[in-house]
Amino acid sequence: MKRATQAAETPQVGRSIPRLESWLKVTGRAEYVHNLRLPGMLYGKIFRSNVAHGRIKNIDVSAARALAGVYRVVTGKDIQEVIPEPFYGPAFHDQPILALDKVRYVGEPVAVVLASDPHVAEAATHLISAEYEELPAVYDEVEAMTSKAIVHDVLKPAGTFPDLKHLQGKKNTNLALDFRLRRGNPDKAFKAAARVFEHRFRTQQVMHTPLEPLVSVAECTEDTLTIHTASQSPSFVRIEIARLLGWAENRVRVRVPFLGGGFGAKLYIKLEALVSVLSLITRKPVKIALTMEEQFFTITKHASTFRIKSGVDAGGRIVARECEVWWNGGAYADIGPRVTQKSGFTAPGPYDIEHVAIDSYALYTNLPPAGALRGFGIPQLVWAYESHTDLMARELGVDPVAFRRQNLLKEGRPQATGTVMHDAATEKVLDRLGALMDWKKPFDQGKGTVRRGRGIAVGFKACISNTTSLAAVGVNADGSCTVYCSTVDMGQGSDTTMAQIVGEVLRVPAESVRVVHSDTDVTPFDMATLGSRSMFHMGNAVKLAAEDALQKINHLRKELGLGPDSAVPEIFRKKYGMRAGSVMGTASFNPPYTPPDANGLTDNATPFWMVGGTGVELEVDTETGRVRITRLVNVADVGTPVNPKIVESQLSGAAIMQLGFTLFEKMLFDDQGQLRNASLAEYKIPGFLDLPDEIVNEAVAAEQKSGPFGAKGVGETATFGLSPAVANAIHDAVGIRLTELPMNPEAVFTKMQSR
Amino acid sequence: MSGGTALMLMMKAGVLRPSRLVFLGRLSLEKIESGPDGALRIGAMTTLRALERSDAVRMGWPVIAKALRTLANVRVRNVATVGGALAHAEPHMDLPPLLAALGARVLIEGKNGKRQLPVEDLYAGYLENTLKPGEIITQVEVPALGKRRAAYLKCTTRSADDWPAVGVAVALDSHESRIFISAAVDRPTRISSAQDLENIRIDGDLHGSADYKRQLLRVFLKRAMDEARNAGR
Amino acid sequence: MRSEVQFQLNGEPVSAQVAPHESLVEVLQEQFGLYGARESCGQGLCGCCTVLVDGVAVSGCLQLAALINKKNVVTVEAGLTLDPVQEAFIESGAFQCGFCTPGIVLMTRQLLDENPDPDEDAIRHYLSGNLCRCAAYPEIIKAVQLAAQKRRKT
Repeated sequence: MKRATQAAETPQVGRSIPRLESWLKVTGRAEYVHNLRLPGMLYGKIFRSNVAHGRIKNIDVSAARALAGVYRVVTGKDIQEVIPEPFYGPAFHDQPILALDKVRYVGEPVAVVLASDPHVAEAATHLISAEYEELPAVYDEVEAMTSKAIVHDVLKPAGTFPDLKHLQGKKNTNLALDFRLRRGNPDKAFKAAARVFEHRFRTQQVMHTPLEPLVSVAECTEDTLTIHTASQSPSFVRIEIARLLGWAENRVRVRVPFLGGGFGAKLYIKLEALVSVLSLITRKPVKIALTMEEQFFTITKHASTFRIKSGVDAGGRIVARECEVWWNGGAYADIGPRVTQKSGFTAPGPYDIEHVAIDSYALYTNLPPAGALRGFGIPQLVWAYESHTDLMARELGVDPVAFRRQNLLKEGRPQATGTVMHDAATEKVLDRLGALMDWKKPFDQGKGTVRRGRGIAVGFKACISNTTSLAAVGVNADGSCTVYCSTVDMGQGSDTTMAQIVGEVLRVPAESVRVVHSDTDVTPFDMATLGSRSMFHMGNAVKLAAEDALQKINHLRKELGLGPDSAVPEIFRKKYGMRAGSVMGTASFNPPYTPPDANGLTDNATPFWMVGGTGVELEVDTETGRVRITRLVNVADVGTPVNPKIVESQLSGAAIMQLGFTLFEKMLFDDQGQLRNASLAEYKIPGFLDLPDEIVNEAVAAEQKSGPFGAKGVGETATFGLSPAVANAIHDAVGIRLTELPMNPEAVFTKMQSR
Repeated sequence: MSGGTALMLMMKAGVLRPSRLVFLGRLSLEKIESGPDGALRIGAMTTLRALERSDAVRMGWPVIAKALRTLANVRVRNVATVGGALAHAEPHMDLPPLLAALGARVLIEGKNGKRQLPVEDLYAGYLENTLKPGEIITQVEVPALGKRRAAYLKCTTRSADDWPAVGVAVALDSHESRIFISAAVDRPTRISSAQDLENIRIDGDLHGSADYKRQLLRVFLKRAMDEARNAGR
Repeated sequence: MRSEVQFQLNGEPVSAQVAPHESLVEVLQEQFGLYGARESCGQGLCGCCTVLVDGVAVSGCLQLAALINKKNVVTVEAGLTLDPVQEAFIESGAFQCGFCTPGIVLMTRQLLDENPDPDEDAIRHYLSGNLCRCAAYPEIIKAVQLAAQKRRKT
């Protein structure tokens, strides 16, 4: 890393500088918790349930305990001796650290074997046996609404989200949250509409599969605990572990180096509570590193069913929309209720519709838990509403782009919640998409067995609110700068862009800025690195903290009678008589928010919107149903990019990931709730040979005025419109409409046969 | 144990728990030779990568070099051996149906001496070969391509880098067509016409339903025949 | 039960006591503190565990450590300076989280050793056994082409 020798002449924001940690990553020296080994450390291997729903009658660990090299075997009962109420979760305190009276999905952790040799620990898990009284299970989200199979005997909202309060103590239900929005008079508007369209769409359960599987290490002293964890939410981990233990927050330290991928999998509590308790029980460091396979039994993405109905007037304007969305949350709520509500309110899409009804349901089922996955529910919604939009356009005989243009939500207009749209470049995105797709030109659909088609889709997302980021920026005696923030770099380039923001304010090269990684003993509170919020929230906090540091330095200059351009080392030398001292700038950023009323309406739902458009040209092999994407266009409103190259790679990366979810990824269960494809041999993710022939990425010229230097988030944007753009293109090519994901060759072929 | 890739996977999955592994690397079975009869003789311990890069193979049996290009990945091909690939009896693999179509034979050695076997006779079922205890494959002999035209096609239904749902290998000349299908069946299976496809037993799995795999076989049989007919020397 | 293996590791002669079931990746991490090769999928499909053994790229998670006696093992940590491949990856921004990067760097060196001017099709096929969940694939392809150019110059 180069040292700052002079003030930066050029702007730091807007530079496509290589990532600060480049050398570490290309030489294999980047730090991941995956690598961590501590002296005396024990490895934990998890024994898991093999029934989808059952009361635990007996767990026999005697044979496991007797295996040579096994240090200890721990079950839920042992956990309760340390934590009497061992339930965690960001929305509901429904998830036990180890199963207690019941197991609720195949793969649920029931016991842990500890040994200094992980192979011994693993071998011992095969010696544990458990007996269950099996209970009826439910797997489908719509069925779960009315099923007699009840996953949780009583609901336990965490109290962290006020809109879940009314569910406290509710019994005999799988409904963890029902979000409701009503605007205008939809029933009346439907009756008056010229045409009414209704469709139903489904998406499947998939998994993030970060290549560094989830891993956490805990080590304790007499009265403190340090958790080294691959987590996107270190501050949350600290708060939640402190709450579970009944400790003051300052006794829990959470450290996060780089993540080998996150995508939303590494959030809230995953392994942290378990390793913490195990370390407290054994008084030794404890590491639990999941295998790739075990990740599938830990956290996944919601499958969904979306019924969408629209009323259109004679002029082609959408006047009413009704959305009913069932989210398959799996056995534990995790952040599902947030997905249901926060994404739920965007279910009508980026369209200007006066009369809206939304009902969005979070359901418990006996499947592995679902939580946050890049897009946070938005891809599932856009899949439905942009497929629906295209179908309406076709029925009405209107060009799909023109139909969208006519109905698009514009600057200054209210979204379904009533919040007025600002700095959401919906029109620009749609226009650029049309231009990059050469939409006005006729498209050759081919004649032989290979047919071609094209399709577009536009989606949007409201950034999660309300959330808080704090940051500190230190200026050292030699003028070098350090950023302290709990944003986690999981590959999205946050270290680099935060350094660029600091460099811009303090006029030093970004490469000279040191970014200290999340360590809750050092870096201040941050809500979490998720939902594309960090550029906006932490970026603003870092900018303000740098400005605070600059202010303090300028104050020193004045105090010491030095000129406005005096060098920083000179200031400290004068102040302290030698090279000593430093200045710390601090700031917090928590944009205003108004919670929704009983009708789901609010005038301030979000501090910023993300808008993403996708265009696809593809070929369909009509003899086999195989689809080949020949051209993929990603257009996004990301405000003004801080690092254009990183922005481009985020658009491209998100789209390719979503391509896997669109064309072939799916967690396949048998009728006993057993997952049949929990490994990369049987759960295939996109590789080099799956890429579209051509990928075009463009951030439209835009500005998020309330963002740091006009910037906002980009990590998820290219996931929004991918799936429906592909479905729309397939429809264009071969005249069939697929309403379920994934659109694998057999699904395409079968649909063509039944045409 | 030869390359060990398949073995390691089975041991890690707990499917195989051997108490002893004997590495076959010191038997000097890595040679690739063309004989005076134009046949290719491949030592069983030849790596797939060596086979892929062999000039003799590229020139004399381009269909083999082409098939190897998409067989597993480079790291696997760097250590996996021809003998191991054939003995594994995994029905989705590329070499068994292709070598069977080309009329290849394996040389087997064991306690009771040596014997030769057409490749297709090596297979009894899923992961079941017909080797007797104490026997190993020492060599694979592939007759010269001659006037024959050959092709091997496979079809994956998930990501491109995946076990195929179906494989079809054909070798045609004026006298004979040798057509072998794979992946959708539990061992490389010879068929004589498209009609045969309608009667073979296929099981559905993660790659596709039985009906769909049958459709893929129909399509890829036709495409493999076309590709073979158009194949230059 | 443990046997001794003696081998070359990044140009240095070393030895290790290994158990029959231990993989090369485990030994490199546990006994030599080298973490560039990582076990991720555990099935040889993702390439995160790529290591060079006798000049040839192998999946370290499927390689029994007991069999590397007398062999020449090279990991991504070898060498004191960045080579043209690593420089090209940095300039092209050909990584995000970095977990798969060492494997792809090693495979790229092998590719360019065998084929100094690969076209895009050759690159995709050669690297088809390396997965990147962050999907930095387009940037990686450009990095390989840039690396080829750089190597031709030197």
